[in-house]
Amino acid sequence: MTDSRPAPSSRERRPSFVALLALSTAALLMFAGCETVPDRPKRPPVARTGDPIIDGNADLAAAPDKDRVLLEYRLGVTALRLGNFEVAKAKFDDAIARIGGLISGPADAAQRSRGLFTAEREKVFIGEPYERVMAFYYRGLLYWRDGQPDNARACFRSAQLLDSDAESDTYKSDYVLLDYLDGLASAKLAGDGSDALARAQKLTKTPLPPYDPEANVLCFVEFGRGPRKYAAGENGELLRFRTEPSRIRSATLTVGEQTVNFLPWDNLNFQAVTRGGRVMDHVLGNKAVFKKTTDTIGDVALVGAVVAANNIHQERRRVVTDEKGRRRIVTESDKSDGAETAAIALGIVGILSKLAAAATQTHADVRMWDNLPQALSFGALRLAPGDQAALLQFYDGNGQAVPDLARRFTLAVADSVKDTVVILSELKR
Amino acid sequence: MNTTSRFFTLASAAAIPVFFTGCETTQGVKNPSGVAVTEMRPDEKGFVQGTGVESQDLVSVTDKMARSILGIPEIARAQTKPRVVLEPVVNNTRFPLNKDIFLTRIRTQLNSKAAGRVSFLDREMMKTLERERALKQSGQVTASSDPNVVEFRGADYFLTGKLEGMSTRTSQGTSDYVLYSFRLTDARTSEIVWEDLAEIKKQGLEDAAYR
Repeated sequence: MTDSRPAPSSRERRPSFVALLALSTAALLMFAGCETVPDRPKRPPVARTGDPIIDGNADLAAAPDKDRVLLEYRLGVTALRLGNFEVAKAKFDDAIARIGGLISGPADAAQRSRGLFTAEREKVFIGEPYERVMAFYYRGLLYWRDGQPDNARACFRSAQLLDSDAESDTYKSDYVLLDYLDGLASAKLAGDGSDALARAQKLTKTPLPPYDPEANVLCFVEFGRGPRKYAAGENGELLRFRTEPSRIRSATLTVGEQTVNFLPWDNLNFQAVTRGGRVMDHVLGNKAVFKKTTDTIGDVALVGAVVAANNIHQERRRVVTDEKGRRRIVTESDKSDGAETAAIALGIVGILSKLAAAATQTHADVRMWDNLPQALSFGALRLAPGDQAALLQFYDGNGQAVPDLARRFTLAVADSVKDTVVILSELKR
Repeated sequence: MNTTSRFFTLASAAAIPVFFTGCETTQGVKNPSGVAVTEMRPDEKGFVQGTGVESQDLVSVTDKMARSILGIPEIARAQTKPRVVLEPVVNNTRFPLNKDIFLTRIRTQLNSKAAGRVSFLDREMMKTLERERALKQSGQVTASSDPNVVEFRGADYFLTGKLEGMSTRTSQGTSDYVLYSFRLTDARTSEIVWEDLAEIKKQGLEDAAYR
């Protein structure tokens, strides 16, 4: 018997290489097309002036709406430390209004951020509870400074409430300073602050000073750097906090003959890490599982596609004898339609799975209010109205004063019915 | 069609729409052209809401108080027009707010709807008024009456209020209850001649992305 069919060309005999080439090309195109975070319209670069308020406002104007609250937090506290209280008020007011309207406000963006193919960072930033607490805390200080202790108290209560849904009961509403100031404001308003003071005292082993309604200078001191967020886990799905103990452990303020010691009343590192898990962690965890599963399915399917493609054409050798009785070996190639279909199907499944895996956005949102302090402290003084020379000193863990942080300044005590509020920070901005 | 061609065709067909989707620069941006300004009534619930004190609460509470005050005998059947002084509202809630806005709205409602049955004394202007009187007494400015005669009116009643709150926050959501109480106190006897309240409770739950 003579095999009259021409031998298959080398091109037809090696479809797996071509198929892989096609698959790779298609995958590249598709991955490019599946970029879920589009490039934002280019904004003109913000020209730096060196003035943190001007630069901060320029950044704010250029920022996408989803980052607005974050930039307002940062700029608000910068303005506060620079003594630009009007700017600080405006920024915190806007940020708090946005947080307050959250329940029915930017829910669409939030809903999208829970989707498989949208990153958590695409939601409108409002911050983790400790960040929101600090926005209310700073706004409260500004209200107090303006002679509105009841509105300040409202802020401290809102802040404490924000911390009331921690996972563990032990860590719910456990800011010492917020309860203490709630009571102090009540005492200043001729109310009864004893309940709030008792609550504050329960939260700390350090004896808290009794309220002195006659104290007219309220000093809020902060030091250290606050928690830093990072994404952990195989797919960055876990929000974690990097907490480094502050070099500064305490401070003193000396005005005339009076010296007030400032030990940490609250620690934001502690507050950040004691919240417990978030609902969003669960969502991100599910995303990570989806990503891993689809990636594995994609691997298996693509390997299967390659194997099937290799079996589309099967070579068979046999011995044939021609008319003259000569024997020779011929190679035949049979095409398997089943293998071809399987290769195509597995290839498509593999591509789609890899595509889905690559497009799944699992990273935790690590945008953070990065100029927060670590430790918060408070002290009250009775001072006569007028300018007073003051010395602020910070101390390290050995109780040694850190000379480069010592600051002499003039404390202007207001000659009015409202309290003088002094906000002193180790951080410059 | 050979195998290679089929692969190319299928893969290309799948890639093209996705590829072009990626070219959409405003993908994922809601309302890229913005949202037109929507004018709303102040007593209407807006599309941005929280559990705090909002304009619709202010309107409903102050409307209720103004109606209630006008109905009391001390105002409705007074022989002489009662003079009322507003005292600041005490905010005992967790919401920082402009407290004066409540009394301002009650006052304007009463002034516009009470047809002169009650008058308010402007104590916010006292410093300015005293300075003006002093200028008149010193002869630096003219006076249409004897500046040495005290004509500043005394109050018959004080109108004030208090906002009390109760809040809960759990994994199920946030709940805020606010009690708005206002009272009219007789300046002579310290008797509370009128008091009324309004209660508003709101609950909500943030998106899971924020929990």
